[in-house]
Amino acid sequence: MSKISRRDLLQYIGAGGIGVVGGVLYGESVQQNVELLIPQVVPPEDYSPGVATWYNTVCNQCPAGCGISVRIREGKAKKIEGNPVHPVSQGRTCARGQAGLNALYNPDRIRTPLQNVGQRGSGNFEEISWDEALTTVGSRIGRLKIDNEASRVRLLCGRVRGHLDELFLQFMNLLGSDHYQQYDFTYPSALMAANKMSFGTDVLPYYDIRNAVFLLSFGADYLGTWISPVHHSLAYGHLRQGREGRRGKTIQIEPRMSLSGAAADEWIAARPGTEGLLALGIAHALVSEGHYHGSDRDEWSKALQAYSPSLVSAETEVSEDKILRLAREFGTSTASLAIAGGATAAGTNAVASIVAVNALNYLAGNLSQPGGIIFNPDPAFSATAGSRQAGFQGMLDLIGAMKAGDVDVLLVHDTNPVFALPDNVGFRQAMQNVPLIIALSSFRDETTEMADLILPTSTYLESWGDDVPDPGVGFPVASISQPVVATLYDTLPVGDIVLSLARQIGGELPIHMRWGTMEEFIKERWREEYDQRGSEGEEQEFEAFWQAALEAGVWGQPGAVAGDQPVPLSSSMIASIADPVSRFAGDESDYPFVLHPYLTATFFDGRGANLPWLQEMPDPMTSVVYGSWVELNPVTADELGIREGDVLDVESPAGSVRVPALIFPAIRPGVVAIPVGQGHAAYGRYARDRGVNPIHIVATLIDDQSGDLAWAATRVKLKLTGERLQIIKTDGVTRTLGRQILGPENDHA
Amino acid sequence: MFDHGQPSYAEVNKDVLSVMLETGPKYWMLLGTTMSVAGICFFMPWIYQLFVGVGAAGMNRNAVWGSYLSNFIFWIGLSHSGTLLSAVLHITNSPWRKAIYRSAEAMTLFSLMTAAMFVMVHLGRVWFVHWSFPIPNQMGLWPNFRSPLMFDVMAITTYLTASSIFIYMGSVPDFAAVRDASTGLRRRLYTIFSFGWRGTAREWHTLGWAYTFFAIFVIPLAVSVHSIVSWDFALSIVPGLHHTIFAPYFVCGAIFSGTAGIVTVMYCLRKFLNFERYIGQVHLDSLGKLLITLSLIWSYINILELFSSWYGGTSFELEALQFKLTGFYAPLYWEMILFCAFVPLLILFKKIRWSWNKMLVISILINVGMLTERFIIVATSQPRKFLPDAFGFYFPSWIELSITVGAFAIFATLFLIFIKWVPAISIYEVKETLKPLRRDA
Amino acid sequence: MSTFVEKLRQYRKPGYYDKFDYHWTMTIDLDRCTGCEACMVACQAENNLPIVGEKRFAENREIKWIRIERYWEGEYPDVKMRFIPMLCQHCDDAPCETACPVFATYHNQDGLNTQIYNRCIGTRTCAVYCPYEVRYFNWFTYTWDEPLEQQLNPDVTVREKGVMEKCTFCIQRIRIAKDNAKDDDRRRVRDGEVVPACVQSCPTEALVFGNSNDPEAKVSKMMKNPRGYKVLEELNTTPSIVYLTKVHS
Ligand code: SF4
Ligand code: SF4
Repeated sequence: MSKISRRDLLQYIGAGGIGVVGGVLYGESVQQNVELLIPQVVPPEDYSPGVATWYNTVCNQCPAGCGISVRIREGKAKKIEGNPVHPVSQGRTCARGQAGLNALYNPDRIRTPLQNVGQRGSGNFEEISWDEALTTVGSRIGRLKIDNEASRVRLLCGRVRGHLDELFLQFMNLLGSDHYQQYDFTYPSALMAANKMSFGTDVLPYYDIRNAVFLLSFGADYLGTWISPVHHSLAYGHLRQGREGRRGKTIQIEPRMSLSGAAADEWIAARPGTEGLLALGIAHALVSEGHYHGSDRDEWSKALQAYSPSLVSAETEVSEDKILRLAREFGTSTASLAIAGGATAAGTNAVASIVAVNALNYLAGNLSQPGGIIFNPDPAFSATAGSRQAGFQGMLDLIGAMKAGDVDVLLVHDTNPVFALPDNVGFRQAMQNVPLIIALSSFRDETTEMADLILPTSTYLESWGDDVPDPGVGFPVASISQPVVATLYDTLPVGDIVLSLARQIGGELPIHMRWGTMEEFIKERWREEYDQRGSEGEEQEFEAFWQAALEAGVWGQPGAVAGDQPVPLSSSMIASIADPVSRFAGDESDYPFVLHPYLTATFFDGRGANLPWLQEMPDPMTSVVYGSWVELNPVTADELGIREGDVLDVESPAGSVRVPALIFPAIRPGVVAIPVGQGHAAYGRYARDRGVNPIHIVATLIDDQSGDLAWAATRVKLKLTGERLQIIKTDGVTRTLGRQILGPENDHA
Repeated sequence: MFDHGQPSYAEVNKDVLSVMLETGPKYWMLLGTTMSVAGICFFMPWIYQLFVGVGAAGMNRNAVWGSYLSNFIFWIGLSHSGTLLSAVLHITNSPWRKAIYRSAEAMTLFSLMTAAMFVMVHLGRVWFVHWSFPIPNQMGLWPNFRSPLMFDVMAITTYLTASSIFIYMGSVPDFAAVRDASTGLRRRLYTIFSFGWRGTAREWHTLGWAYTFFAIFVIPLAVSVHSIVSWDFALSIVPGLHHTIFAPYFVCGAIFSGTAGIVTVMYCLRKFLNFERYIGQVHLDSLGKLLITLSLIWSYINILELFSSWYGGTSFELEALQFKLTGFYAPLYWEMILFCAFVPLLILFKKIRWSWNKMLVISILINVGMLTERFIIVATSQPRKFLPDAFGFYFPSWIELSITVGAFAIFATLFLIFIKWVPAISIYEVKETLKPLRRDA
Repeated sequence: MSTFVEKLRQYRKPGYYDKFDYHWTMTIDLDRCTGCEACMVACQAENNLPIVGEKRFAENREIKWIRIERYWEGEYPDVKMRFIPMLCQHCDDAPCETACPVFATYHNQDGLNTQIYNRCIGTRTCAVYCPYEVRYFNWFTYTWDEPLEQQLNPDVTVREKGVMEKCTFCIQRIRIAKDNAKDDDRRRVRDGEVVPACVQSCPTEALVFGNSNDPEAKVSKMMKNPRGYKVLEELNTTPSIVYLTKVHS
């Protein structure tokens, strides 16, 4: 080995140093994102490169509360699948559930607290620190509390269930404000009200489609959007082919064919707004044709007197034969079930219609029977969350209060009333009167855009929480949601934000809300729950229970089926029967068409529109992607000389939207349908400025009994604008042209 | 045979060689134009396409083949008359062949090259095109010889090689003539090109024998090439393409368009290189008659194709038929029928057959028709196959159109270069047709 | 030479693949399928299908390894909508396989029609030859808006421009299941151990996947259903997917 002098050595080191520095600089300039193969030197627990781990949690893409399993590799979420042990999803998911990953990794997520610096609604936000943000909010609310003006603080949430709901409630109570409300466009207020009238229950019952043999759906798109689509789909599969030699039958009654209508054996487009009447007609036939044998037969026939099939047939434009046939099949099948939702539950007669449908179920004798309506026990907790639903009436009150200057601070979380309310109720304008609007949100939707301060929430895949599926599945169930990945940005789970705010405001709040994090809170509550259920025991035992629950993501008592719920009195049911015919806003001569807005399986009520996978998922019935359209019957279109792609002005008494026409073979003439979901003015790059929002032009008629918005009771007129717009579809020709693609004709039942 | 009096031997040499030896500014301008058109219309869009992906073209999910392939067939087709015709005429000893065959063969060569360019343009990852050759590699990967595309690779490379040899062989005595007429570097080059040709009896004998051998060899090759190209389509089960008639259909169409192409090229040679003396009425007349014959065969095959589609009676075939005859591209279809089946009938009239200008128009129309034919084959069948829900539509993008135009410029460039390097008319064979012993004036 | 010919003959014989351990097969019950498209999104998530954007959709250049086809029957008011999921049928006599000049697509010993992205040169012949139109070409190199790429499944390649792609029956899941079986000293993968993403997600359990060489497998039983048929059977592609027709009542 040759000798290296000290001088040489220094030179080498110097050269090496320059080389290293230069190399680093070069590397930095060339390669912006240095990605390390294994990001952490000391990997966190459960982290082994190349091995996937699954975490169970709860889906938050719709209110059904499906259990999901998330596949994690190298600390990143890769795939969402249904949680196999969860009784709602049973290992399955819908498209929206899968797309939850797009919410987690959405490029348009809010990453830090933001403060509005421009005009309100201008979208000019500046990043601020959490300390700053929390101090601002805390001091403001704290002052109001000290001044005994806390009732000027309002909290508006989406559909929040479980202990988060309790946390919100506690927060507001301690503050001294009883203005904690929830608003969810899809909340089945009418169904709740009707069930209360018919059955006297506050809890959504379980519709046992799985074991039904004959399913009569009045407008409820149970396979796409109604209440718990994944669970219903599972049930539907079973209804069709799950029983050896006994294939269930489904009938769908709605003016525009939905997914469930497509799946049905028969699709009946009754005159819009008369579906409830049709139910009464069928009920009449049931009784008069002798399919009902109850002791109260006479009372029923008296109550239904006015609804003879021939009269109903004239009103509904469904032939008398058909009504009689439906009644016969409904009356003679071993397990018949009737459900109502969609447009049937969104007229001015919504409650009356659902009551009529409930009567059908009663007459079929399916209450608390397999394949019928099964009454759920009170949910494990959060029984009262539903009562905080503001409904449309509640929102009008809120708007009134805001306009009157009664609201100083508005906290909004996970709800988007600017999008999901008709334009002319003026929610957005009313917000201008509120001095401080704070949004707790992960995305900059239309409502969040109006905020002065945005406190970014972590998504459901990064947060602790729990949930009680609503409706339950016939027995008590509760699910836990846990973070499956580390928080991506400088965001906090919403529960933690509430707890931090409580600490910031001070006073008795932090004394009562003493938990450091949502996780602590949830765990403590579960422990109480656990103790209450009589299983008081050792620390060890709870820990084991908790671990098991976390692993399973769900806890339930399948044995405790509430089969022996009291069957409601028929007298109350008979008494609640009312004439179920909807009124419509707009005069028929001016506005010849009935507007049928419908929730889509892709975006639900619009909350999925910011997820690229859903934007790129062809609409199941039309194959349209990335846009809105208005559906017309081919005959109507012919008469008006409208071709696909002609841009129409759809004008209602409440406003108008401009949208291209799509010829749709399965819609009643005289009805035009526009899907809900697109038409966002904000909400990130995938949703913004795409299509139209039909809710905005819905006239503000309300359901007579529940006070909810009758969003299917608006008439419209169509005007050709002369413009054309390409509707982007993935379908080519949607006729088989005589080719045997769908298989040989056959009738194996 | 010679419209303007018979030239002397020396005149032949002078006429033909002057084209090569004297280059005016006009030529450079022309060459400059064609080269820049080729660069701008062909290579620039192609380079763009290489960067972004084949999506730059108008193809889509339902129509994965587009104008690149139709152009490919067109150029392969155009290549057909040259060598094939030359070979057929050589063995049938038709004297009128002699003035035109060199250019015709050059046409073959260059249209084959242009066609090969289209294969490159068509490929999604052209940088791996060598994988389609059976090159031994350490992975032991081999191309798939069941694939009609593989047949194509084999057929076209063989054809290209054979045609090149054929044209080269026929040119050796002429290279010697160039050598003798030139000095300096050129002389040295052509010494090499001409393989030391001296014109001995033995050399002539060998050349004649080898040439005839190649002529016989090249004929089946040419027929097979276009049959194989047709199999790219016919071996698929796509309705409208899955026809046994496709091979003869393509071969006939190819010769048809090639012959029309020769007429066009002849016209240009006459006009711009002053070959009026050598390319005369006889040639035009014979080519015209050939065109009529081919057009009739072509029409017959077309009728047959329609008939078998209809007679097949499946929804698939009938739909494809209906779309072809009445769908979006129906105007193109009927345009093709007009140009390829009816317009050539005009050639029946001697007045038209004997007029260079009219024949030029007809020959161009025929090739327009044939270009459309290829486009229709690609654009009407394959986007509408078996599942109606997956029916699609194809319309070329501006990049494709530009590349289509650019291809003609490439062809012209190659041809322009060719006339400077190889005598465009076979000197020695023209001389063979002269009445002997006419002395120079 | 003669052994080679012999082998080739054997290979071409129908039933050749039955000799091997697995023959992956799927059944699709159209009487269950509701057209909800959960399978499509599941596939997109599992197999790193690109988000192509509105413009590409307008150009008809989407990539969906499984898609739902829609067919209307009749006219209003007696109109019916029929859905049929369409994905690579993994034909035993696949027309696409003969077409590829470089063997980028071939049949493997499990009865799968596989696609080797690395080998593909992009002639697109396979897509023309496939009667089911389930082959999708990468017209461009697609990118993901940051940080969406964090979701990409590390078990599946991200494809570049110029290559063809299509349903693989989630071959990565098959591989993992086989590895697990090997680690457990089992010779075979158990029925139900391999579940492709679409089958896993389908909320109506319309899709069943398994090894049809195993007579006890659920899929083998489903295949015997009298409602079973194969799409475009007359083309003799011998698909590996058996559809069960919808029951008309
Ligand atoms: S997930 Fe199942 S039910 Fe839904 S479209 Fe796919 S195959 Fe049909
Ligand atoms: S369905 Fe198409 S891609 Fe799949 S194996 Fe058959 S021919 Fe090939």
